[in-house]
Amino acid sequence: MDRHFDEELQNVKRKIVDMAAMVEESITKSLDALKNKDLKMADEIQELDHKTDRLEITIEDMCIELIARHQPVGRDLRFLIGTIKMNNDLERMGDHSVNIADCIKYVIEAPAIGQVMNIWAMAKIVKEMVRESVQSFIDNDAARAQKVCERDSIVDGLRNETIRTLLTHMLEEPEKIESAIQYMLVAKNLERIADLSTNICEDVIYIAQARVIKHHAENEKS
Amino acid sequence: MIIRTANLNLYYHKFQALTNVNMAIKRNLITGIIGPSGCGKSTLLRVFNRMNELIDGVRITGSVLIDDEDIYSPMHDLILLRKRVGMVFQRPNAFPLSIFDNIAYGPRVWNISDKKTLREIVERSLRAVDLFDDLSSRLNDSALALSAEKQQRLCIARLLAVEPEILLMDEPCSALDPIATGKIEELMIGLKKKYTIIIVTHNMQQAARIADDVGFMLLGELVEFDTAKRIFTNPRDKRTFDYISGRFG
Repeated sequence: MDRHFDEELQNVKRKIVDMAAMVEESITKSLDALKNKDLKMADEIQELDHKTDRLEITIEDMCIELIARHQPVGRDLRFLIGTIKMNNDLERMGDHSVNIADCIKYVIEAPAIGQVMNIWAMAKIVKEMVRESVQSFIDNDAARAQKVCERDSIVDGLRNETIRTLLTHMLEEPEKIESAIQYMLVAKNLERIADLSTNICEDVIYIAQARVIKHHAENEKS
Repeated sequence: MIIRTANLNLYYHKFQALTNVNMAIKRNLITGIIGPSGCGKSTLLRVFNRMNELIDGVRITGSVLIDDEDIYSPMHDLILLRKRVGMVFQRPNAFPLSIFDNIAYGPRVWNISDKKTLREIVERSLRAVDLFDDLSSRLNDSALALSAEKQQRLCIARLLAVEPEILLMDEPCSALDPIATGKIEELMIGLKKKYTIIIVTHNMQQAARIADDVGFMLLGELVEFDTAKRIFTNPRDKRTFDYISGRFG
């Protein structure tokens, strides 16, 4: 029997996928803008952030209403709880892309800095992690989500390398301290986006299999 | 707006069953009336097709307007009102007739005797409740042989045969199991595209699931009337919150 409630759950899913598409666009634009030192694009990213903020409220409202009116259980309950958390994570990712865009104006004004290749390597992996986390949610694919979680440590490693490289620049060329600080902030924001992708994947695994993998909860149980 | 009550009071002899009820029911929505036993919700439902008049000693003050017409005006045509405002009861009350004759009963009362027209009405009505494909080959069988859920669907189809605008449903699922209840609920959601539905239910979760607007009644008073979303996420009145959260009732 097709239930009206199932249609409503699908509506929520469609909205969260829209939200994820906006956030992905915002992250890609912020990194492109940083690479091309394009200040104009920063305004577009700000506008996208307003849209995701509004959508976050809409999705949260839909989930609360469905929980209140349908008393969901089992997978339906896990889907709605997971969606509320994912919604929040996506909104935070949008904020981090705004933070990245905010760095552009300082990078333009400060002397150029070389050897920040690790940032772009990080950016590539982080964008893939975001895309894969969203896709694992769409497909309800716990195995795919698990693989995304495993990539988080690669991003952490690249962040550490980036910071070490930037510290060297700061010591050797003090006039580039301002630029180096901005790139450190970019690295920090990218690393947080990767963490949030991991959070989403943990929620996908929870929704699909009712397993809690965050904070190594399963290891502690066993 | 399709139904509006203003300062509605109803008395059974000296007992006041409804107190100063003011509500506005919107077209093509499902309006749920909830509240504990004896709060007056079925009484309120029966006000809308003047069923209470069948009970001795009933007195009503205030007004009940359907499309701005006072249905308690002495000029109002009661037969036409009951055609416009149909009612489904707790227990399916199929007539001891064939499936066909159950549906054709109302149209025949309205002097439709042409066989082809009646067949069309029966098919259309059964299709509206998703019964036609299942029953088309046994329309001459007794309606009483159907399951409770199908009998309840049949009763709804019987109403639709006389083309009402408003469907009153008094605990329509209370005699049904959860699966049959789910099917009737889905049917109601589908029917609201064409009809305005008012449902009285003891089952608060049912009102939460299917109603667009909800009224909470207590001791004959309409304590709160709002969207289902508002009632179940942020009711204004503490008594409503206490009831929906299971603190009393």
